[in-house]
Amino acid sequence: MSAVLGPERPQVVSHVQQALSYTVFDCKWVPRSARLLCLGSAARGTGVVQLYELHGARLELLREIEKPKPIKCGTFGATSLQQRYLATGDFDGNLNIWNLEAPEIPVYSVKGHKEIINSIDGVGGLGIGEGAPEIVTGSRDGTVKVWDPRQNDTPVANMEPVQGESKRDCWTVAFGNAYNQEERVVCAGYDNGDIKLFDLKTMSLRWETNIKNGVCSVEFDRKDINMNKLVATSLEGKFHVFDMRTQHPTKGFASVSEKAQKSTIWQVRHLPQNRDIFMTSGGSGSLHLWKYEYPAQRSKKDSEGSEMGVAGSLSLLQNVTLSTQPISSLDWSPDKKGLCVCGAFDQTVRVLIVTKLNKI
Amino acid sequence: MPLWLREHSWRQTLTAVYLSLPLRGARATPANIFCSEQYLKVSIPPFLFEAVLYAPIDDTNSTAKIGNGNIFFTLYKKEPALWDSLTLANADKEKLQYLRENAVLKAQEKAKEETEAKKITKQEHKKYALEATMKLEEAERKRIEDLKEKERQKVAKELELWKNQQKDGDKCKSIQAKEELHQEIEPLKERKNEKMNKTRIPLEGGSKTRPKSTRGCSCSIFSQDLKEEQLPAPRPAATIKVNFTPRVFPTALRESRVAEEEEWLHKQAEARRIINSDLSELEDLKEEEKNPEWLKDKGNKMFAMGDYLGAVNAYNLAVRLNNKLPLLYLNRAACHLKLRNLHKAIEDSSKALELLTPPVPDNENARVKAHVRRGTAFCQLELYTEGLQDYEAALKIDPKNKIIEKDAEKIRHLIQGTMQSS
Repeated sequence: MSAVLGPERPQVVSHVQQALSYTVFDCKWVPRSARLLCLGSAARGTGVVQLYELHGARLELLREIEKPKPIKCGTFGATSLQQRYLATGDFDGNLNIWNLEAPEIPVYSVKGHKEIINSIDGVGGLGIGEGAPEIVTGSRDGTVKVWDPRQNDTPVANMEPVQGESKRDCWTVAFGNAYNQEERVVCAGYDNGDIKLFDLKTMSLRWETNIKNGVCSVEFDRKDINMNKLVATSLEGKFHVFDMRTQHPTKGFASVSEKAQKSTIWQVRHLPQNRDIFMTSGGSGSLHLWKYEYPAQRSKKDSEGSEMGVAGSLSLLQNVTLSTQPISSLDWSPDKKGLCVCGAFDQTVRVLIVTKLNKI
Repeated sequence: MPLWLREHSWRQTLTAVYLSLPLRGARATPANIFCSEQYLKVSIPPFLFEAVLYAPIDDTNSTAKIGNGNIFFTLYKKEPALWDSLTLANADKEKLQYLRENAVLKAQEKAKEETEAKKITKQEHKKYALEATMKLEEAERKRIEDLKEKERQKVAKELELWKNQQKDGDKCKSIQAKEELHQEIEPLKERKNEKMNKTRIPLEGGSKTRPKSTRGCSCSIFSQDLKEEQLPAPRPAATIKVNFTPRVFPTALRESRVAEEEEWLHKQAEARRIINSDLSELEDLKEEEKNPEWLKDKGNKMFAMGDYLGAVNAYNLAVRLNNKLPLLYLNRAACHLKLRNLHKAIEDSSKALELLTPPVPDNENARVKAHVRRGTAFCQLELYTEGLQDYEAALKIDPKNKIIEKDAEKIRHLIQGTMQSS
């Protein structure tokens, strides 16, 4: 693992810190603006959505919306830039899409799952990529469902356990490989360490593996390109980076893993402006900034002549400890390079700026 | 009785007294000289010189030079005056004693004061050093903080700039959106242009970019429509069935627990194996005969009565049920010894010893027995050296046992005997 030299290392500067009166589960930047959303659960068991605007060295609360059920996750991924509707998953298994200008009635609502929706992702919106806008939700009832906001009530894809099989909680979902209108994959991570890759074009399981520890977060480096890299983080401080360009018939995808923090790695987020840089947030309140370096040759032939991927190497650019509680959510701003927001279980949301990313 | 040194010679000036004291061959060190305000003593056993001075002197500044078999004192007088003699005349014994004691006390006090003064200065030095290091560290910390602060401010400024750009961009777009809507309505166009002009003034940045973006916006409206049409229909619904990695335990897999789980499974498997293997034969046995403890007792009784084969059988069955009890092997070894199955006796004693680790005082007794039995078996096989080794091990555990000692001696003799003869 190579290290970047001292004065040229990116610095993580804590710009604003905002104390909240509720537990924040997810924080997201509103695209094309300096506004951010915090989603969470208030102490009385209701859901809270707060909209803040960055004003100098502080956050100004623009709007607060309360919902009957606590909200676990949200995404802007499947809406257009003009509309900027927020899709949320809540503790009751409901998927709702809200227009933040008129949040009383959701634009789309469905009781998608029987238990809490742990993770949500959207693709096809925001001017990124092509194809139909779709939302995928992963829930504690072991199912992963893909929804189209134009079709009510039934999901367009449903990945559920075989009849009679004991179910495992799905902890995270991510879209990828959406480089044209037909192709799309969904990657789901479960609490027993299973990672499954579903191909939506052929409606089949494309790849699965087990990383021996519950998978907390998966993310492709870009949703809208031919799948390049997938990062999966897990409990006990380990995360794996899979090279998704070459799939071997038996061995699957090549990977490199790193054990960085002693605690759970809650989230991984790639920098929207540079797909080889990503940040992982840990259970000890720390953030690690990583850079992936590609190997000299990304694929090689094995003894039988079939193509096998070669994993690259990781280098730690910077790490910083911000809190004593886990940092459960992280989001980079798609508009300003290096600006990110993170929400931690100590009921604070922090806006951070990572400097010197241009020099990497 | 000390030998008095009396051949001293002295001379004086107004401020000082110079005293020369020949040493008669004795060697002097600074420790031998004792001097206070009015009392001077040089004691180099067995020689002794003392003088109660005529007037007080300044003993801190006075010096003594040792060399050439001579001590040369330079004593500075407290009051400049000429002394009639070096010592006080008509000093009686009591006065002398008193003066001597006083002198000693004074010297002690002075020594104490000196040590205290030294201590205080040392403490002050330490404090000073500490403060200096603290200051340095503080300076370093501040420097780092300043760097960070500068970085932060720079970054905050950039952010503000970017944000303002965004805001302008947003406002600009909203204005254009309005404009597009009004463009279609001809009669209202003029009024709208007026409105546009009014709103244009505060937005200086926006006005510059307006003409360019108008074109861009109109394009985008059209392209938006096109895009809407181009969006594919929702996917046909389908289900993918999922299988999870099979697992024995109901809990999820955790890497750190894998070792523990393996061990647990292993033990379960062994227990199951034992039970399964005995099932067929154990059906005709009574309940008590399935208890290894009961079987051990039975075996012991049979051994006592001399039924060695029966005892071995009992022990065998007990071992099948529970192969982790060392006493079973121990006792079976004894039976084998009696039956002269020496190899089996060795095996069983070895197994017993294995199970009797860790070596603690509790299983001393058992270990001694195991060693003795194995030793006996070796000797009966004429492997005397191995036997001796075992006997010595037994002796080490229990050095007070006479029988073992005697037997060990016997074996040694045997070995020496065979060596001599061969």
